[in-house]
Amino acid sequence: MHLAHLSLTNFRNYVRLELSLPPSIVVLQGANGQGKTNLLEAVYYLATSRSPQTTADRELINWLADDEPLPYARLVADVQRGNANHRIEITLVKQLNTGPNGFRLQKQVRVNGVNKRTLDLLGQMPVVLFRPQDIELVAGSPSARRHYLDVTLCQIDPRYARALLQYNRVLAQRNALLRELRERGGDRDQLLFWDQKLSEDGAYLLLRRQALVADVLARAQPLHLTLTDGRDRLNLRYVPSFDMNPSQADYQLPLAFAELEMSPGGSVQDIAGAFVSRLREVRREEIARGMTVIGPHRDDLMITANDVDLRTYGSRGQQRTAVLSLKLAEVQVIQEAVGEPPLLLLDEVMSELDKERRRCLMDTIEKANQALLTTTEWQVFTPEFLAKTLRLTVCEGRIEPV
Amino acid sequence: MQITPEPVNRLIEELSRLPGIGPKTASRLTFYLLRAPVEQALALSEAIRQLKERITFCEVCYNITEVSPCPLCRDERRDRTQICVVEEPLDVLALERTHAYHGLYHVLHGAISPVEGIGPGDLRIAELLKRVQDGSITEVVLATNPTLEGEATAMYLERQLAPLKIRITRLARGLPVGGDLEYADEITLARAIEGRQAM
Repeated sequence: MHLAHLSLTNFRNYVRLELSLPPSIVVLQGANGQGKTNLLEAVYYLATSRSPQTTADRELINWLADDEPLPYARLVADVQRGNANHRIEITLVKQLNTGPNGFRLQKQVRVNGVNKRTLDLLGQMPVVLFRPQDIELVAGSPSARRHYLDVTLCQIDPRYARALLQYNRVLAQRNALLRELRERGGDRDQLLFWDQKLSEDGAYLLLRRQALVADVLARAQPLHLTLTDGRDRLNLRYVPSFDMNPSQADYQLPLAFAELEMSPGGSVQDIAGAFVSRLREVRREEIARGMTVIGPHRDDLMITANDVDLRTYGSRGQQRTAVLSLKLAEVQVIQEAVGEPPLLLLDEVMSELDKERRRCLMDTIEKANQALLTTTEWQVFTPEFLAKTLRLTVCEGRIEPV
Repeated sequence: MQITPEPVNRLIEELSRLPGIGPKTASRLTFYLLRAPVEQALALSEAIRQLKERITFCEVCYNITEVSPCPLCRDERRDRTQICVVEEPLDVLALERTHAYHGLYHVLHGAISPVEGIGPGDLRIAELLKRVQDGSITEVVLATNPTLEGEATAMYLERQLAPLKIRITRLARGLPVGGDLEYADEITLARAIEGRQAM
């Protein structure tokens, strides 16, 4: 699979871009603020319908186009998969004089010309994005780690994407009900329906996340040993916000994962059952606080090296290495699940890495069908490496071959 | 300086409050009415006035009606042991078009949605319970929409009705008639498999 052609209209600083790409490594060079990151963002957006930078889609429309009577942005990707060609298309239209903020943003997703839900987009073009900010994955808040698990799973499991969407909707309704009960009282049995829905979807999320963590760990551990000359033993532990399996205290054991994998149906029910009974126990607290206090939206992933928690005690270098191990493992997991390497998007990551780590990343890049790398300086790469790549320069929203 | 006369502005404003009508459509409609014969414009205003004056809610089923109880509730030929619970008056019309249901109705006027601040107290649920307790009802058909909010409402009703020892049913969910298996989404198809019936 590779991205054969990218076409952008009024996306960020690209007023108009037509770019054909080969199934190989592409290096984009340019000074800061020329649009390197925006290009990677566009590809990521086409793959996931979400921007890695912002949650406000309206910011994606070029700010000059924003002054026009009908501001819009259009992104089109032609994806070559085997012999077949897929066209992914996202149009954002800002409709003025409607909606609460004086405008409404209309987002239209099309695959091969047919209107689709954004959910159906996921998995059409699997991508893995590497950014300097990824350090947040280890050093940042739990939400960054949940996001890492969610983005990976959404791309390989459509059912996960649906369960996550539904879970968030149920969560919003349930929180609103809890606030209502706190402020005005009422029939607490109303919670029963939302408890049941929350636990059904939540259990699937938990099951898949645990299995993914085991999967990532199996791949990240050897990578991490190589990256640290055998010094650091990386470990991952999914930390649920409630005890899912009271009878089996140690659910991080690989054995437990194997069991979960073997009988997914039964396990989802078991977890959902534990979730529901836990919800009953914390009901008083939840009503007092007006929010749902347990569930996958409150979970964390503990990342340790030699049993030391890297979030709190890891050095910047250790954290950065762990991020690289996790990201490289993500590439392998997706490759395993979809049967071919994902498209790699690397935003200025080379300059931050030392020689050994750079070599490790290079290995993965060279195995990929396609990788888009950005850099400010050509010198980051060896001439031999550059000889194998397509070199492009980015300047003020225009892209030219070197 | 205001160019358009005040009555014109006022109608545009009123029209643009309607769902699906923006300021553009509102002005087009306004200028159309301006040029239309007086009778036509007055007929419209009369129709709106009558709508508000003559339509009320049926005191039994809370459907919209001109006379309360509504014709459906008064119709002696209908099966008085069944009540079909729906969210909106339009749902009654949809079910009536089928000619497959011959019982009575109960319109809730919405579905439970905590996010929008709609709880059971905001719907005609107490009235439904009273009807079921009073009458000779043997079956309640829950025909709320198969959405998250509709399901929440159905489950709430089910819990409230359970002690009354009557038959409670829910509309089947599954494949649309004339549809194609390969185009059905996974959830619908899974529901259809769960609800399969012996032949």
